[in-house]
Amino acid sequence: MFILDSLLIGSLRFVLDKVIAAAETEAEDDSALREQLLEAQMRLELGEISEEQFAAIERDVLIAIREIKGRQQGPISMSPDDKITGVDIQSYADEDQ
Amino acid sequence: MRAVAEAAGGLRVLIVSTDPAHSLGDVFATTLTSTPRRLRPSLDAVELDAPRAFARWLRDHRRPLGEILEHGTWLDREDVDALLDLSVPGVDELMGILEIDRLARGERRAREARQENQALRVLRPSRSYDVIIVDTAPTGHTLRLLSAPETVAAVAGVLGDLQQEHRLIREQLARIGRPEAADRLIAVLADQARETAARLRDVQQTAFVWVTLPEELSRAETGDGIAALERAGITVRDIVVNRVLPDGGSCPTCDRRRADERNVIASIRRRFARGRTIHTVPAAIKEPRGIGALASLARSGAKGLGLRANDTTKPFRASARPAAIRQRPSALRPQPFSGASLLFFGGKGGVGKTTVAATVALRLARADRHRRVLLLSTDPAHSLADLFRSEVGDAARPLPGGPANLAVRELDAAHALEMRRTQFEDALDEIAAAIGVEGASAAIGTSELMRLAPPGIDELFGVLGVVDARADYDVIVVDTAPTGHALRLLEMPQAAREWMQVLLRVLLKYRSLVRPGQLAAELVELSRSIRELIALLRDPETTRFIAVTRAAELPRRETARLLGRLRRLHLAVPAIVVNALTLAPGRCVRCRAVSAAEKRELASLRKACGRRCAIIQTPLSAPPPRGAAALNRWSKSWIEP
Repeated sequence: MFILDSLLIGSLRFVLDKVIAAAETEAEDDSALREQLLEAQMRLELGEISEEQFAAIERDVLIAIREIKGRQQGPISMSPDDKITGVDIQSYADEDQ
Repeated sequence: MRAVAEAAGGLRVLIVSTDPAHSLGDVFATTLTSTPRRLRPSLDAVELDAPRAFARWLRDHRRPLGEILEHGTWLDREDVDALLDLSVPGVDELMGILEIDRLARGERRAREARQENQALRVLRPSRSYDVIIVDTAPTGHTLRLLSAPETVAAVAGVLGDLQQEHRLIREQLARIGRPEAADRLIAVLADQARETAARLRDVQQTAFVWVTLPEELSRAETGDGIAALERAGITVRDIVVNRVLPDGGSCPTCDRRRADERNVIASIRRRFARGRTIHTVPAAIKEPRGIGALASLARSGAKGLGLRANDTTKPFRASARPAAIRQRPSALRPQPFSGASLLFFGGKGGVGKTTVAATVALRLARADRHRRVLLLSTDPAHSLADLFRSEVGDAARPLPGGPANLAVRELDAAHALEMRRTQFEDALDEIAAAIGVEGASAAIGTSELMRLAPPGIDELFGVLGVVDARADYDVIVVDTAPTGHALRLLEMPQAAREWMQVLLRVLLKYRSLVRPGQLAAELVELSRSIRELIALLRDPETTRFIAVTRAAELPRRETARLLGRLRRLHLAVPAIVVNALTLAPGRCVRCRAVSAAEKRELASLRKACGRRCAIIQTPLSAPPPRGAAALNRWSKSWIEP
């Protein structure tokens, strides 16, 4: 059970780390948005989108970037230094026993 | 003239013009095309059409070239086709060198055939030449033409690297040792480059004749040009000083000119006569046209000139202009210079573009001290420093003694490339990564290409120079290279934009493999600037082209063609400056004859110019004006409608 527990906790911890990392990236890193803006600029230069379409994309991207900046300046819910030290697990098998 | 003389001597001669602004047909008083035309039984002439020659070359080699790009990158057929359809910067020099090679090979094959089989001589007479005379573009671009073999070699190297992996697969996995079309193309290009480079430097096979004018600026250009050729391992054995005023009756204008020309020729002899022959060709009142006139000039040219030693030189005075020629100002015509933010000065080599452009730049700067003016020379054979007798370099700087709001710059494309070397190498690395070439800059031989000043570089950096300067200056006065390359400069923004569009499309298409980075951001920025520049070039309020010419038949004919090309490029030409006119002929027989001939040419120019374009006449000045103060004085004697 000990091995199974550590495996379970280990796997879960891995998944949770990934989820947190992705959430952090989305919440704090605006590089994906910047790429989206660059892509729109490229399409504008190529004539694939109109000035109006570009302006709409630019507006959306800037709003999203502003939101990220706003969140970064607000109360910190989890910093990169925070660590997960343990997880409570309740298993149905345990209850049956 | 040389061609006619050689042909008369019994040799089979082909004369080829590689200047994109051809004058060879004008000189022979006939129409020439890119197919050799027989002018005499032993003389053929051809004017290369580089873009068409490139299209033909590409048609012949498109399949192997496309295969190399497809094998060596992850570009698909659609991408490759888009790349191959782009216009190539420096096409005149690249195709010039390949065409000369093709013609020279034809000559050698025919010569070998003559030795083996007399019948072949009859079968292929048109490919058999004893001498090929190449009439090149003016100085700066001739130097680029001569470096073209190295560029072709570098291109062959890049193609070889791209083909390498595919070649290994064929040889080692499929066990196919036979070279395919792509391998043959790479080998042919490498051979052509090597052989042409060697032929240009072989004094047994190639003679380089430097043609100049008896003027200070031309003498300075001769010094720079010959030094550059010698650095490239090319020997100049002959110098021809053209249009030298012959002996004649005494007259203040002619005497001043003779004295001035004599000083220049003496200086050329002092500096360049060792190991070289200096020839002088007399100035004719009517420029020689047609084989008869050229043959007679060739006969008389050998005699030498025997210049007069009469030196009664007095400084030029603006009052020499007769008041009678003054014209009434026309309310209909727009002011040619004021209000523009981009002024191009262009015309045939040796007509005085630099002097006129510099005079206008000085005038604009003096007229409004708050107006920031940049005088930018994009001709690789610069004359601004010689004109101002002051140091001018690649960085814009104020002119000592000139107005503080005027900066001058002689674009040094090789230096500008060196300055941006890291940026360009990073960009090429990113492009290489984006098209799936491993090892990036090493594989595509960027360092080799960076070392060269490849053909087309002057026009590319000329455009970048204008783009960069727009933020810092209110008016940019561009002193362009002679006609053919001035047009290439004006075509460059469109060509550059097409290249950037293809690159942007490729970066977008493969963005899931390689995320667009710094390069894409820079391309977007540059593409936007160039899009603005293209719009600016078509706006007659902001951009004007001033054609500079002389009132003589050959420059006048070239000017008429230039006006046609500028119209097609939608560029406004509000004025033609007709330079160095004999406005006060006095009683001198020669001056009167010259003045009468000039008036006829002026009338033709007026017709070519049209109603919306002004003719500005500038007087011949002996010695020519040098330095800001002299240019300013000279400017006051211009006749402007």
